[in-house]
Order: sequence, then C-alpha cells, then structure tokens
Amino acid sequence: MTDIKHGDIVLAAKGITKRYPGLVANDRIDFEIKAGEIHAILGENGAGKTTLMSILFGLVQPDEGEIYAFGKKVHFRSPLDAIDLGVGMVHQTRKLIPAHTVLENILLGHPKAGTILDMKRAGEEVAQLCKHYNYPLDLNAKVWHLAEGEKQMVEIFKALYRGAKVLIMDEPTSALAPPETEKLLESIQVMTRDELAIVPFITHKLPIVLAVSHRVTILRRGQVVARLDTKQSTEQSLAREMVGRDVIFRLERGKAARGRSILRVENLSAFDDKGAQALTDVSFDVHEGEIFGIAGVSGNGQQALAEVLAGLRKAKSGRVLFDDAEISHLTSLQRWQKGIGYIPAEQRTVGSIGNFSLVENMLMNYHFDDAFSKWGFLNEKKARQLTEALIAEYGVATPSPDVKARGLSGGNLQKLILARVFSRKPRLIIVNLPTQGLDVGATEFVQNKLLEARKSGAGILLISEDLDEILALSDRIAPIYEGKFMDVIPAESAVRETIGALMAGLEKKAAA
Amino acid sequence: MKLGRYQIKLEKKSGFTGWQAAVISIVAILFALFLVGFIFLQAGVDPALGYQEIFSYAFLNPFGLPLTLNRAVFLLFCSFAFIVPIRAGLWNIGMAGQAYAGALGAFAVALALGAKGSQTPSLPGGALVGLMILGAMLGGMAVGAIPGILKGKFNTNEIVTTMMINFIMFWLVAYMIKEGGPFMGSGGEGEGFKLTESVRPPLFKDTPFTLWVSLALAALLYILFARTKIGYQIRAFGSSPAAARYAGISPVKISLLVFVAGGLLAGLAGYHYFAAVPGLYKIPKNYGDFGDLAFYGIICGLISQGNPLASIPLALLFGGLTNGGRFVQGKLQLGFGIDYALLGVVMIILVAFQFFFRYRIILKKAEKEN
Ligand SMILES: Nc1ncnc2c1ncn2[C@@H]1O[C@H](COP(=O)(O)OP(=O)(O)OP(=O)(O)O)[C@@H](O)[C@H]1O
Ligand SMILES: [Mg+2]
Repeated sequence: MTDIKHGDIVLAAKGITKRYPGLVANDRIDFEIKAGEIHAILGENGAGKTTLMSILFGLVQPDEGEIYAFGKKVHFRSPLDAIDLGVGMVHQTRKLIPAHTVLENILLGHPKAGTILDMKRAGEEVAQLCKHYNYPLDLNAKVWHLAEGEKQMVEIFKALYRGAKVLIMDEPTSALAPPETEKLLESIQVMTRDELAIVPFITHKLPIVLAVSHRVTILRRGQVVARLDTKQSTEQSLAREMVGRDVIFRLERGKAARGRSILRVENLSAFDDKGAQALTDVSFDVHEGEIFGIAGVSGNGQQALAEVLAGLRKAKSGRVLFDDAEISHLTSLQRWQKGIGYIPAEQRTVGSIGNFSLVENMLMNYHFDDAFSKWGFLNEKKARQLTEALIAEYGVATPSPDVKARGLSGGNLQKLILARVFSRKPRLIIVNLPTQGLDVGATEFVQNKLLEARKSGAGILLISEDLDEILALSDRIAPIYEGKFMDVIPAESAVRETIGALMAGLEKKAAA
Repeated sequence: MKLGRYQIKLEKKSGFTGWQAAVISIVAILFALFLVGFIFLQAGVDPALGYQEIFSYAFLNPFGLPLTLNRAVFLLFCSFAFIVPIRAGLWNIGMAGQAYAGALGAFAVALALGAKGSQTPSLPGGALVGLMILGAMLGGMAVGAIPGILKGKFNTNEIVTTMMINFIMFWLVAYMIKEGGPFMGSGGEGEGFKLTESVRPPLFKDTPFTLWVSLALAALLYILFARTKIGYQIRAFGSSPAAARYAGISPVKISLLVFVAGGLLAGLAGYHYFAAVPGLYKIPKNYGDFGDLAFYGIICGLISQGNPLASIPLALLFGGLTNGGRFVQGKLQLGFGIDYALLGVVMIILVAFQFFFRYRIILKKAEKEN
C-alpha cells in the first residue's frame, strides 16, 4: 500500500442507504475521500453524518450500497475489518481507560499486542510517531491526568499506530478548549501534508471548516446536497446549503428588566471527583432577567460549581441562597421543585437515559410533578402530549416519541434536554455548554430561547467555553480560571481580548 | 482469538424483543433436557422413560402436583425478591437469608401469642394468621434493610452483604430450632415447634392461599414497573444512576426501598413454605434445602429479564424439575441427585444460549502474515 499518491481516491462509498424505523438516515449517498485531503462533512443535526461515518468504519451495516477502499470493493462486517484495511475512527465519546498509561491505552487491542508484547520497542515507535507529528506526549502518564485535547491525541495516535491511512473524526473539537482545538488542527494539518493520512471530519463550527478543510460535503436529510471546494465557500454559503435558507448570525439581545437578586453564592469552595480543590472561594449573584456568563476553558471548576448549585455535589464551604433563603442543604429534587433548572454538559450520561423512550426521558423532569401523577400512577397520556408538543416546537428530528433516546443524534438529544428543562419554566436556569453539538440553525434557536427566558424574568447562569456565545448573550461576564473568578465584567465594557486573556489566567484581577 | 487458521470474533448484537427472548429460553430448555438425557443413558435408564416419570409425577400425579406447586410458589416469591432490586441495577442474592428471616418472624409471632403445639392461643386463628404474615414481612424487611442502607449510604457492595447475611441467618435458624433456641420442638429431633391447628391457614381449591397471593403479586409488580411513579424511579436508577440522581431520584431512597421490598417478598417465601404448606407447619430439619432452592429465584429472575409475569412459568418448570427429579431418583434407584444435576445443566445452557444470541460469532480465515 505504499504506492498511494496524493490525490488518489482512498475510500469511496457508492449509493449508501441506511434506514431506521420511520426514517432514512442515509439516502443513496455517494462520497469519496482522497489521499492528503481534509474533508469536512457538514449538515444539520440528524442529517446523517455520524451514520455515514459509522458505515465507513464498519460500526453500522448499510442496507444498500458499496464501499471501496484503495480501489477495491470491501465489506466491513465490523470495525476490525476496517482497521485491518487502514481506516481508523476517533469518536466523540472517548473510549480510553483512565487508570492506564498513555502507552498502554495506545497498545490496547492492537492486533500484535497478544503475540509480541515488546513494550520497549512499541514505546519507541509511538514516541517516534509523536515526534514526527510534533505533539509531545508523556507516554507513561496515566490517562486521567491528561487534558481533553491530549486524550483526543492519544486516540489519534492509537489509530495511527495501528496503521490507519484514513482517519475519521466525529466532532473532534466539540469537547476541546480553543487553544487545544488549535493544537489539534495543527497536528491534523501536518498529518495530511506530508503523510497520507486523510481526515474526513465532522463539525458544526464553520470557521474551523473554512480554516483547515480542502473540500466539504454537505448532507441534508440523509442526502448529499452539495460538494464544494472550501476555497470557494463562505460561512454564509455553507450555512445556506446546510439549512436550505439564509441563516442570520446575529442575535437580538434587546433589553430585559433586571430584577432583584435570585441566586446568591457566598464564598463557595468545592472539590472535584478526584478530591482536588476545584472551586475556591467564589462569590457572585444572579438577578432576575439577567444572563450571568461564566467564561472558561473546561476543567477550571465550572462543572463543580454547576453541580453544587444543582444539589448534586456537596460544597466544602460557603453558602448558596435562592430567593434570599439558604438552599445549601436542599436535595436536587427540592431544588427542581423550587424552580431551579439544570442543563448538564454530559447529555448522554447525565441529561438523558439511553434505553428510555423520549416520553420516559421527558418524565425525568416531571415524575415528581403532581400534575403528572395521581395515586402514584404516572399520567402517561399527559407526558406523551407534552413530549409531542415539545418535539414539534423545538424541531427534534425523530420518527416518534417512542424511540429510545439512544437513537437520537447528538444535536437532537441536546434539543430534547433543553426543551424538557425550559418547559418547566424555571426561575433560575443553570446551563452548562448549551449549544455543544448543535448545528448553526439550532444554536441560533437555543440562544434565542435563553434570551426569551431572560426576557420573561428568569435568572440564567450560562457556562460556556465559546467566547462568542458568552459575549453575545451575557449581561455580566465572569472569566473563570483554576477555580476562581478572575473578574466580573459588565457586558458594556467587555473586551474580547481581555476576557480571553483572563480565561487563560494571563492577567490577575485588576481591582479587588 | 485465533484457532488454527481461523480467527474468531465476538460481536454484540442489538437488543431483541421479549418474544425472541422467550423462544430462545424455550429452545435452550429443550436442549438442556436433551443433554441430561445422556446422564440417564449413562445410568442405564431410558431417557424417554426418565422424563416421562419426572414430568408425569411433577405435573400430573395427585401427590406430585401439589409438591410442585408449593415449590413453584416459593421460587416465585424468591424471584420477585430478586427482580425488584435488579430493576434498580442492584443484585439481591440474599433471598435465602431473607426467607429464613421471614420464617423466624412468623414463628416468633406464633410463639409469642401461644400458637405452639397443642396450646390454645389467646387470639382467634384468622387474626393470628394475619399477624404471622406481618411478622414474616417485617422479618424479611429488617434483613433486607441492612444491605439497602449499606448500599445507599456507604456504597457497600450489595452482593457481598446479602451473601454474608445468608450465612448469618442460616446459623441463626440452626440456633433457634436445634441449638437451644426458643423455637425448638418438643421431640428434640432438631426441628422447630409445630403450629397449632387454628393458625394453619385454610386451603383454596386444595392449594395454599399463598399460591394466589404470589400470582396476584406478579400482576401487581408488573403494573408497578410499567405504570407507577415509583416503578419509573426504580427503572431510571437501574438504567443510569447518574441520570436518575440528576432527575431528583435519591440513590439512598431507591437502594433502601428495593432491598426492603425484596426482603419482604422473600420473607413471604419463608412464610409460605414453613407456615402455609399443608403437612409441614414448622421449620424443618432440612431447612437448608430451601435456602438452596431460593437461589434458583436468581435464575428465574434473570431468564425472565426482570419481568415478574414471565417468571411464573419458569418457577413452575423449576419447581417441577426439582420435585420430579427427586422422585425418579428414588424410584429408578439413581445414585446421584438428578434434581440439582438437571437444574444445573438447564441453567448453564440457558446462560450460554443467552450469550450466543446476544453475540454473533464470526469465524473468518486468518489472513496470511506478510
Ligand atoms: N440506532 C439508531 N436507531 C434509530 N435511529 C437512529 C439511530 N442512529 C441514528 N438514528 C437516526 O438517524 C438520523 C441521523 O443520525 P446521525 O447520528 O447520523 O445524525 P448526525 O448528522 O450525526 O447529527 P448530529 O449533528 O446531531 O450529531 C437521526 O434522525 C437519528 O435519529
Ligand atoms: Mg453526529
């Protein structure tokens, strides 16, 4: 396989069709990837991107269609077949074992691992690989010590070490902080430049697509609607092809009457899961009709803060007041009932239950509601009606409310969770990464929903890594770094660069 | 895995429906019976004859059938005791200990109110029966609460705690009925005391009333999981503890609840066999056999995939096999315990079948190494 030249077609799909009960996820798709190119797949939530990539990796069997690898017709019965032929995939949800070292994780499941376990030689080879791509990795570090971006690279090196010539990445940057994203993209570019690694990657972030990809394939409702050269595209044109209409990238924040303080946090400190101090002496308040934005790179204590406020984590010290009454000791159930709504960042493991139907998932925030049960029996009809109404209102793409949440695409699941929490009309909304995995249209929709809630008087604590999102929505902005607020800045006087620097811990708080 | 020139791979298949699962179970059971046929051959017995004896005694014989039913009801209560916690993702393997606790609870009430031997108790029989049942439930609940609290509060492994409590309860029963405890019978034969006439519950259609209770409970539990709020909370916790916690469901409450309920159900099993089955009305010498039988509640619960209705035919089958197996062992002079051999093989085959149907085995020629 050494005779592949730049520009050769290395992986091709012809007439791929995949049907799920009630919908066609991929509809006669033709698709090809050339050696040395970065190929972006774009499409709205539920357009069928993940399905197509899973088929190319042998995870999902197509109903119709053929796959060609390096010019030969192939039949992938499982990912093992795909890996044998040099196709690797990096999933959005990582599959590394945290307690093992980087090297062990890279070797784990390697076809040769059973027969020759020459750790020393393997280590040297992997180190060579890292050096080649200019991405230093401590091979003996335990994986749980690593930052998200480094874990992502471990996954990539794992695939490369197995001889991947084609690397498929599903939303590789959605869990990464901006600097990590840049580093990752640099490495990807190096890979395609001098080697023959080919990276069809999926993302919703149009600037990234424009910056690094060579070609773009756009899917809409399971069909290919456009194949473009990136050079000839703009953010506007890509969005138009994806959605089928013009998308306005502007939000009307408008004015909202700032009411009295609804959430008060005093000197809050908390530990993370590993017992390390995650949050140190944080104090702030959120008012009715206000969006209080916490800007920070993931892993700087936002998660612990959100969990403490939602009643899912014990604070080490400090107080939390809601409506002027202390709630530090209340359970999560009591907080829901008081009108505090929490939208977690972990949509698959915390925000939803995969093997429950959408109706049952809706009940996650309604089972305790007296309007939805009588004599201990749940009112299923009512739950179904609510689910159907919200599916329609939020445009969740699904054939029926009886499908399992597992079957929803990432963006559609996020819409369902948001719809569920918003429908309770909480007076305080704690929302962590609200638009992760959402397409441009849905992002706009969700951001407008947050503004609507603000207008109707809810207080909103918005946690995000996306500086644009923070700047567009927040009334006040608190950059967070290593568990401390670096400052609290009113939106009027917020300067993008300053906040970016504070998020990176570069400047100390100016005034106490 | 490599096997000569072939490479074997396992691949998990997506879930299958309840009906498919039922068909798989039936085929597996038939296959297991076929295999055990070889054991019969080995012993010089025609398998067809062996099975005919087992099944006709277990399900047709006027003496055998009631025994089968009594065992089936005991098993059914035990499988409920397993099913309720397993729907919350927790493993109750303490049915034996909880059933013993139920028996002790019931007999403690009887003893306290003078329903021992030929005494005349102070209360009317009906009221006493009710109190004994209550005692059985409380006994089971108390013993079930221990692993529940330990799990909920300290996340102690429930398999270990329930297992340990089995041993403790086994020895507690031994003490109570033969080593000097207050439940000793008058004969000094190492058995518990016998209940007076008036607290022996009446039979309905020639079967203990507990049979009807167990069937009603199957339906109730089914509805509980399918329709009620608490059933929903248990299932949510069983599917994803983190998501359930997010949804305001307390892990402590659910752990405690399912184990207390499990203990209650197993306690009823103890009441049923020792206080409601005709001809017994005491904790017998061989009470340990029932502890062994209780473990088959796990198998029933697992095969039925946590569905209380589906465990009815399974309990009936296992009750019949143990009963009929024991019978042919005596009748055909077999030199081994055919009842447990049968159950053991059925169990292994069932588990193996579940595995093979969940995974697809791929056999492909290993590629030549270059
Ligand atoms: N296992 C499944 N069972 C049923 N339906 C499924 C399954 N997997 C995907 N689907 C459906 O197929 C469609 C395409 O899903 P896919 O995950 O490919 O979308 P996507 O383009 O990756 O979307 P997103 O941007 O939200 O990740 C969706 O409507 C989804 O609900
Ligand atoms: Mg996707």
